[in-house]
Amino acid sequence: MTTTTEQPTTTTVGETDERTREAWTDFEFDGEAKITVEDLDVYYGDDHALKGVSMEIPERSVTALIGPSGCGKSTYLRCLNRMNDRIPSARIEGSVRPDGQEIYQDGVNLVELRKRVGMVFQSPNPFPKSIRENIAYGPQKHGDLDTGLLARLLNRDDTAEREELVERCLRDAALWDEVHDRLDDNALGLSGGQQQRLCIARCLSVDPEVILMDEPASALDPIATAKIEDLIADLAEHYTVVIVTHNMQQAARISDQTAVFLTGGELVEYGDTDRVFEDPHSDRVEDYITGKFG
Amino acid sequence: MADARIRSSQLVDETTTEADAVAALTIGVSAALFALAVAAMFDQVSLTGTIAGAQTVTLLGGLLTLLGLTVIALGAGSRLGYVESTPDPSAGLVAGVGAAFPWALLGGSVASGVLGLGTGGGLVGAVVVGGVALVATVIPREDVGSTVPLGGLLLITGLVFATGVIGPAWVWELGWEQTAAISAQFLIPVATLSTTLYGGWAAAKAYGGFGARGRHMGAYVLVYLNAISIVAFLFILVAFVVIQGVPGLLTGFEIGIGAGPEISLLGVSVTLPVSIPFVMNGVALLNEFQGVLPAIVGTFWLVIGAVLLAVPLGVGAAVFLTEYAERGRFTQVVEVATNGLWSTPSIVFGLFGFAFLIPRFGNGKSLLSGMITLGFMLLPLVVITSRESMLSVPDEYRDASAALGVSKWQTIRSVVLPAALPGVVTGVILGVGRIAGETAPILLTMAGGTFVPDTQTVDVIGSFQFISTPPFVANPALLEATSALPYQLFALITAGVGLGSNVSDPNGFRWATALVLLIVVLSFYAIGIVTRYYFRRRLQHT
Repeated sequence: MTTTTEQPTTTTVGETDERTREAWTDFEFDGEAKITVEDLDVYYGDDHALKGVSMEIPERSVTALIGPSGCGKSTYLRCLNRMNDRIPSARIEGSVRPDGQEIYQDGVNLVELRKRVGMVFQSPNPFPKSIRENIAYGPQKHGDLDTGLLARLLNRDDTAEREELVERCLRDAALWDEVHDRLDDNALGLSGGQQQRLCIARCLSVDPEVILMDEPASALDPIATAKIEDLIADLAEHYTVVIVTHNMQQAARISDQTAVFLTGGELVEYGDTDRVFEDPHSDRVEDYITGKFG
Repeated sequence: MADARIRSSQLVDETTTEADAVAALTIGVSAALFALAVAAMFDQVSLTGTIAGAQTVTLLGGLLTLLGLTVIALGAGSRLGYVESTPDPSAGLVAGVGAAFPWALLGGSVASGVLGLGTGGGLVGAVVVGGVALVATVIPREDVGSTVPLGGLLLITGLVFATGVIGPAWVWELGWEQTAAISAQFLIPVATLSTTLYGGWAAAKAYGGFGARGRHMGAYVLVYLNAISIVAFLFILVAFVVIQGVPGLLTGFEIGIGAGPEISLLGVSVTLPVSIPFVMNGVALLNEFQGVLPAIVGTFWLVIGAVLLAVPLGVGAAVFLTEYAERGRFTQVVEVATNGLWSTPSIVFGLFGFAFLIPRFGNGKSLLSGMITLGFMLLPLVVITSRESMLSVPDEYRDASAALGVSKWQTIRSVVLPAALPGVVTGVILGVGRIAGETAPILLTMAGGTFVPDTQTVDVIGSFQFISTPPFVANPALLEATSALPYQLFALITAGVGLGSNVSDPNGFRWATALVLLIVVLSFYAIGIVTRYYFRRRLQHT
């Protein structure tokens, strides 16, 4: 166990403390906010996993969420497209508003939400289908692509559109050159890094605006990681990328702004990446970043 | 290559020594003896016959004696330091108990049988001899303990067989109220089999130089022989049925253009170039050839019907249980119920069909009642295996699909079910293997007509007819009693049907029926394996 220089006890958490923390997480930026989160609390049963998080995520940029294991950063990420709904014990309070529209209310169209806010997971999880089928899966299930026998008979065949879509997504995910001659091969035959880029391509296929990434490079070797990082930088030109990572160098390399979560599910500091890494307001964040704790 | 080998390091295995070669040869002899004993047990080798000029019993005895001497020599060589080895201080209690058991049996038998000391004397003999063997195994160093007592056992058994003390004609009347006797036909193969296992184990330990490596080798040889024996049992069983059944099956076999019967399918008539009367005819009083065609067709439709009933129901239930139902009391109850249904005796299913289905479907035994009864029997296995294979589909696939905004049902249909399909197919294969050979439920619900003349078979497809009153579709063929292979076999053997003049060679007929049943079940099995292979390939490779 490494000791921390600052050991906050329950008595120090008071009004002053609360106000300071708000100042630390108050991030001013130019341009529009893509997602606004206010007072987000998440409980898993009795476990209070995320405590009153508020932050605004600017559009067309890379936002990194860092922090030690169990600090709630993945939980926070999964709240942004309501993936936590899939965990029966999870209870969510607060407000999340992509493009100003509240998603934690009745009558939200989850299909539309998840089309707009896509997600890439920690371990590559392509379907056990061909590369082409992996990309075309989402649009086909949404009825945007029709390539079945019936469609052919009714002269509504979208095979050409599908090929176009597959090529575009694979090019955007920097995978086209490696796989264009074997689109019918099973995706599980690709290397780990290729699989993860395929997952990113699959996520792009439904034309999202926001891409959530949950430690997308943690299962990959350095070369594959570098490719993913380059790709993320390119994606930020068109998409709003929110990435969870516990690799601080990675966050420093690729993100425009960084949010630091610390044990207990609190957002402690949020700001410009350079500022957070060079001059953190919070001593705890400084300890975490310099490796004294966490 | 050999030059590059480092010889000085103790980590590297030294070159093969003569002792290693002897030990390896001993293991080989044990394996050969094991195979010979299995063959003798199933009457594939006659004990009184000769192999390479020697009577089989004498040969078995001689080989056992040789095996015993070699095993003792290997142990002694190691103890006296002629052979390099790394033995433990003791062979251990498990080996001791293992060695004590056959010795106790031997001691007890000799005391009560040969010396005539009665039951009490036998018990004392067993305890004394077994105890000595236990001590002799556990107390000395491992190399002696695990070779000498077992080698001695092999030696005694071998000498008894080789010298003819126990020959092929030997019988031990047990003298119980019931007539019971142990014959040489039984004793010699069993004794050879078990003592060879001990001998092979001891030789394998010696080959590994005793110690941890030796124990590993010993265990390896034992489990390897177990695995081999499973294959051997299946092979012997199939070979036995084939040998007995082929003559009956091929009676009147002809090959040539126009030799076979004419088959018309969808208006096209084809004359088959082969004629196998046994599978192309029914059996009746005036048939020139007797065959089981109606029963084959009956079994075929029976299995098709049961699968059509059970697979959609079972897979649907499994989807609900894995994907929709929250894991809790209800799913537990369903789980217990399915397992209970699977363990329910088949005759109970048959009685249910007899009492519940038959009054509701034409009040007589019918193909339909049989299909439904067997479908119920198949259902639990389909549920259990489908459920297992759906649970083993990684949650990552479901997450990925949900994150694309795809609905739950679409995810199940396009991702979960295809990934679970090989497992589902495996379950159906196992189930079909069971129901295709099921006799009791068929006996009560659908069987009849073991003597259908000529080539009359149940014509399910052709019997569909449209009628003007509900239910608008009728199929008289489904409501008729039909024969099926297991029932035909049962009727032939147990009920004595066919023992009269209408079957010329009853025994050949029975064996041929059994062979055809085996072929039909194995064909279903083969179809299932090919299907599973196809789906697995689609999931894993290109």
